[in-house]
Amino acid sequence: MFPGKKALQIANIKSKIVDIYMLEQLCNGNTFVHRLHPMVKLLTTVFFIIMVVSVNREDFRILTLYLFYPFVLMAVSETPYHYLLKQFALVLPLSALLGFSNIIFDTETALLIGPIELSYGVVSFFTIILKTYLTVMAALILVSTTSLQDLSNQMLRMRVPAIIIMLITMIYRYIDILLNETSIMLTAYLLRSPREKGIKISHMGSFVGQLLLRSIDRAERVYFAMKCRGYQGAVSYDSKRSLNIADYMYCVLVCSLALIFRFVDFVGLLGNMLI
Amino acid sequence: MHMSDALLSPAVGLVMCAVSAGAIAYSVSKIKEDGLDEKMVPIMGVMGAFVFAAQMINFTIPITGSSGHIGGGVLLAALLGEFPAFLTISAVLIIQALFFADGGLFALGCNIFNMGFLACFIAYPLLFKPIIKKGLNRKNIAIASIITIVVSMQLGAFFVVIETLFSGITELPFGAFVAIMQPIHFAISLVEGLITAGVLIFIHNMRPEIMQRIYPKNEIAIMHSKKVLIILILLTLFMGGFLSTFASSYPDGLEWSMEAVAGTSELEVKGLIHDASQSLQDTISFMPDYDYRSADEGGSLTGNNVAGLAGGTLTFILAAVTGLLISTAKKKSKPKPKM
Repeated sequence: MFPGKKALQIANIKSKIVDIYMLEQLCNGNTFVHRLHPMVKLLTTVFFIIMVVSVNREDFRILTLYLFYPFVLMAVSETPYHYLLKQFALVLPLSALLGFSNIIFDTETALLIGPIELSYGVVSFFTIILKTYLTVMAALILVSTTSLQDLSNQMLRMRVPAIIIMLITMIYRYIDILLNETSIMLTAYLLRSPREKGIKISHMGSFVGQLLLRSIDRAERVYFAMKCRGYQGAVSYDSKRSLNIADYMYCVLVCSLALIFRFVDFVGLLGNMLI
Repeated sequence: MHMSDALLSPAVGLVMCAVSAGAIAYSVSKIKEDGLDEKMVPIMGVMGAFVFAAQMINFTIPITGSSGHIGGGVLLAALLGEFPAFLTISAVLIIQALFFADGGLFALGCNIFNMGFLACFIAYPLLFKPIIKKGLNRKNIAIASIITIVVSMQLGAFFVVIETLFSGITELPFGAFVAIMQPIHFAISLVEGLITAGVLIFIHNMRPEIMQRIYPKNEIAIMHSKKVLIILILLTLFMGGFLSTFASSYPDGLEWSMEAVAGTSELEVKGLIHDASQSLQDTISFMPDYDYRSADEGGSLTGNNVAGLAGGTLTFILAAVTGLLISTAKKKSKPKPKM
């Protein structure tokens, strides 16, 4: 009997757990990017994303310049390229769909390459794909070089309410436990249903309900455990880290380059030089 | 329904981020003021992880042979209340955006609004709670779950369309976009509604005290009768005073069919009784045909509005008098308790 779809479902759950903790492993590196102050990384990532998002489809070639950001950072931080690419592939479908619809609906000619006419639809398709790639990579680089602890502390310093921070860290921790629970329940179910490839829809109510009841019980036990350890409301502890010269320089460099590339047409210049 | 950054323009993204941030700040303050934050945070945390785990469970959809998974927003709201549920969903979405690249960082504002705000603050209080307040039983739970989830997903999908269109990213015409998004999400939401109903009914059967603690039996919110009265009066004034400006001068359905059949919109009747009542009506009616007596054929605007207001006030007085008479009569007919 081949493993088939059943094993795939269980494997699917387990792979999510692996993904989360893979990212956590990556944060333990010791490269220049890892050593940067979390605030700088957070701000430059957000600034970069906003710049990318502001690009119109006519200025499509600017996005190629922005490719330096993910490529350089991934190289410096020694992040495994294929892993981030896998994450990107998951996000691609919706963007591709909208891009395709643009190809269908927008047929105004944008540019000519020799005898080939490219419509605005095609241009905007590539724009959407590239934008998706750049924004997703920027976010992934952020989380693969900054631990959740550092990110949470940074957000706390930026006046994000402590409740949200606590929620994020708790959910992050408990995903693993609850996914394990789900995996066990799913295995038990699939072992008892020889011909089923997934959970029958009529059983979803009790399956998910059972998981929910166990979660509620677990939550109560967690609450009492926290009380026993002195919990009195959402609090977060933080170790102060000051900015050094490398942080300032990195921030200035990235932000100014992003602005310059946005408004000065280097790609056009390069192309003119070649032709 | 997770939107990526690439689908937004800076303006739309920033506006939605501000809206979501405001909603989060308000929810945090609401939870803190009840003093609930200490008890709720652990359960919110575990419930958030539960939603994550539940989203991993793919079920097989019978006829199509494809698979899907639940969202969990309304389920959370039903179990935790709107403010804790909103915060939990926001946290789940933030984690999904950061660690699973499921939705962009910049698009968090939009995603939190589409999948959190609409479900917890619009669909849940307006649809789920009133249905459950009528009675906590299987039928109500099922109806409430399905309706709430379908509506919240339709709203969410609609807002995705609006946000994308306002960003100017897609050339897809509004109609086509809506025609794709709404039916797909309708199908998904039906299934999620059924599953959520199943889960809540399961909990109601296995551990009824959980549901009963959240929706106690006798807590029916009766709006203060003075408030109701004031609202009704204002509504009447508004409708009579303002809306009647737009009263159509075209013949209504009956008059139109009469014209078509008999060639005149008013029956001409002869006879003693008819004449008598006609002259009575002429004397009494102080605003014939909803206009001043001296108005010309075209009718005057203020005449219409004043007529609307006057009519409304008269009706109100009549209704109030009728109600008073009935309640006085009832009091008199009730036997007095012996002391």
